[in-house]
Amino acid sequence: MEKSSAKKETSVVTKKKLSKNYFKRYWQLYALLAIPMVYFLVFKYVPMVYIQIAFKKYMLNTSVWKMPLAKNNGMQYFIQAFSNPEFMRALRNTIVLNLLDLCIGFPIPIIFALILNELVFKRFKKVVQTIAYMPHFLSWVIIYGIAIQLFAPSTGLINLAIMKMGGEAVPFLNDGNHWVWTYIFLGVWQSFGWNSIVYLAAIAGINSELYEAASVDGAGRFSKMWHITLPGIKPTIVILLIMAIGNILGSSFDRPFALQNNLVMDQAQVLSTYVYQYGIKGLQFSLTTAVGLFQSVVGVFFLLMANWLSRKLGERGIW
Amino acid sequence: MKKRLLSLLLASTMVLSLAACNKSDEGGQGTANAGGDAATELVDGKFAETRTITVEVYDRGNDGGSDPTNNMYTKYIHDQMLDKYNVEVEFVKVPRWTEVDEINNLLAGQTAPDVCVTYSYATIQTYADMGGVLDLSSYVEDYKDVLPNLWNWLGETNIYWDKDPETGSIWALEARLANQNRICTFIRKDWLEALNLEEPTTKEEFYNVLCQFRDNADKLLGGEADKMVPYSVSYDVGWRAATLIESFMDPAITEKEYYVNGFDDRKITEAGAKDAIKLLNQWYNEGLMWDDFAVYGSGDTTEDDMMKAGYVGAFTHNWDYPYRNGEDSIEANLKRLVGEDASYVAIDPFEDSNGTHTKWIAGPIDRKIFFPVTNDEPLASLLYLDFISSPETIQYLQIGDEGVTHTVADNGAIQIQAATGDAIQNSGMNIDYTITCNGLHLVDPEITELSLAYSYAGVDPDLILKANEIAKTDTRELGNVQVGAIESEAGFGEALSSKRDQVYDKALSASTADFDKVWDEGMQDYLASGGQTIIDERLAAWEKTYGDAENLPEK
Repeated sequence: MEKSSAKKETSVVTKKKLSKNYFKRYWQLYALLAIPMVYFLVFKYVPMVYIQIAFKKYMLNTSVWKMPLAKNNGMQYFIQAFSNPEFMRALRNTIVLNLLDLCIGFPIPIIFALILNELVFKRFKKVVQTIAYMPHFLSWVIIYGIAIQLFAPSTGLINLAIMKMGGEAVPFLNDGNHWVWTYIFLGVWQSFGWNSIVYLAAIAGINSELYEAASVDGAGRFSKMWHITLPGIKPTIVILLIMAIGNILGSSFDRPFALQNNLVMDQAQVLSTYVYQYGIKGLQFSLTTAVGLFQSVVGVFFLLMANWLSRKLGERGIW
Repeated sequence: MKKRLLSLLLASTMVLSLAACNKSDEGGQGTANAGGDAATELVDGKFAETRTITVEVYDRGNDGGSDPTNNMYTKYIHDQMLDKYNVEVEFVKVPRWTEVDEINNLLAGQTAPDVCVTYSYATIQTYADMGGVLDLSSYVEDYKDVLPNLWNWLGETNIYWDKDPETGSIWALEARLANQNRICTFIRKDWLEALNLEEPTTKEEFYNVLCQFRDNADKLLGGEADKMVPYSVSYDVGWRAATLIESFMDPAITEKEYYVNGFDDRKITEAGAKDAIKLLNQWYNEGLMWDDFAVYGSGDTTEDDMMKAGYVGAFTHNWDYPYRNGEDSIEANLKRLVGEDASYVAIDPFEDSNGTHTKWIAGPIDRKIFFPVTNDEPLASLLYLDFISSPETIQYLQIGDEGVTHTVADNGAIQIQAATGDAIQNSGMNIDYTITCNGLHLVDPEITELSLAYSYAGVDPDLILKANEIAKTDTRELGNVQVGAIESEAGFGEALSSKRDQVYDKALSASTADFDKVWDEGMQDYLASGGQTIIDERLAAWEKTYGDAENLPEK
């Protein structure tokens, strides 16, 4: 603080006064801002010091600065990861599952929001909305419990029904390819209601005069939706899409972890569960930090790409 | 404005992270002092000032169990330790079925209890490599005088079991298995009687019985016939079909071969495993097994519930599994839910190529006890182990108070009775507290023998005697192969175990036509993921230590 004020002496006096007044006036806001700042500092930035263990041989009781460099100029763990078939499988699965999530899971909340917006009967709308939100508050462990009751190969409700009708049990959970669709379906079911909130908010912000004008011009419901509502929420869609693309290598942990079982691991092993299994359980902290670092770098790359592309196409990017 | 904020942020990040590093440096230096002189620390065998240690205890989450950190037994331990050594003992509970994960997390967070217990030596070895575990070699030697019970009970065999032949380090003490029984197969006696069948003694007969169960489901289960599972395994096939797999191994296998392929204790890399799973695969496809076994993970009670409800014809498990847990045992539940006649009885149906029933047991070792480097009370912790190894302590923890947890029969046998409230033993014979001892061990060995059959509340002693006899039939154990740490094993235990379960599960539930393909691909994947490297290193280590010998030298 002293240093900065010393520097300031050279600057124009009025400017100094101005910023002083400014701080005096708004210090509460900055104090509020300090709370999330401290959070990010302590939980996001300080831990970054440990990124370097991706290049070092991890020792439990030495300072991170003093740990010896890993073999191959510190690249040992990257080489190890990329030569491990399990890692390559996890990488492939992460991309495939996330792409499917993006293709199927991304548009559904938008469509849902559009449909919901067309509902005239307010109370019905509220009820539908609430029911759609609900699964968001369930933990994945519970969802798996429900899934097993419904989809288990011989005791699941749905398979029992199929078998009672003379059909063959569908291996929803115990065959890799079927499992992928179960995974996607459960993900959509859990989150589409919640994800539609932000679109509903965006729709609410559209100037209602536009709709009135369109009605005067004889536009029907569908053309209003197409020409007013959709363009109105386009910026929101683009921003969320960019973020989703940036997350293409990231994956939540609890969803795949809760849903996977031994029979489907070829399809169900993703990077986050790989990191858990090899890193936390196998105690290979360096290896999995390397994987995590790789994941983040690729994620940032995709994010920048998507952002650049959207600006190129004339949309507002994230920044 | 923006720039200044950013630089401020970066600067404080640096400061904070440096501070964090300094702190961990101190931690590193603080652990350097090795074993000292007990006499200088103890006055009349007691600490002058009260010391506090934390001790891991398994939390089994039993329905209606007692609090594992606060019950009649913990109070006993606590008061005795305080009285004897002036050491305050606090228990830290760790979920039993995810213990390895949990201990990993505690160790990584440097918050592990002073006295840790696990079944996984690989975990300890990995942490030792990272400098996270205390080397006990000097402590157990230097403090030998004040640890008579520990030395008496574990002996050199178990104390030196994990001693590194080169460096001499001891990362863990091996608890002693008082009763080396491992595994048995159980079958519904009342079903055999209802169908007029003999107890099966060979695989062929066992298979026929399973078919009879399946074909007579209507008679045996009535309206619930579709819930029938003639033979049940869980996702952990290697354990739950262990005797079957072992019966396909060569009974003349050398110790060398057994060791080299023995990293996986579920024997997936031993010759014979494939044939065993092929047989199970055939049974599976003929509707003799539980269809959904693989979708229920570790710690799930669905399968136990099926046994309790009376849907399961036969299964293989710990030698006393259906009789454990008193009122909540499978046997007790079965009697309540199905009828007084319903009962599981032990059988020995898996013969090997010699016609014997070889069962591999794991040597006289059990859990592994270690101290993390964050333990700054090694003497107090060792005194705790000494106390917990004394015959009187073991006896009290195992049988509790007369009239509360046991009665004494006319012949002197101790009969465990179902306890209530604070006196409930969460684990059979309180094995979770007697961490240096697994298995009934009373002060008087004769009473021990007599009492074994009576130590299961509410279970017919004849059932126990039979299971005990079968579990002891044709047992074989691998001696202590001391070739030092196998480097490639570190860090791969968990991943390979999970891979192994995947191979077993997928092969077992494959269609008959796909079996060979699924098994071979799975094994290839297993070996490529680290299995082969371990086998190679084990082979090299054996040859380095024992040369051409096919078996361990006689002691």
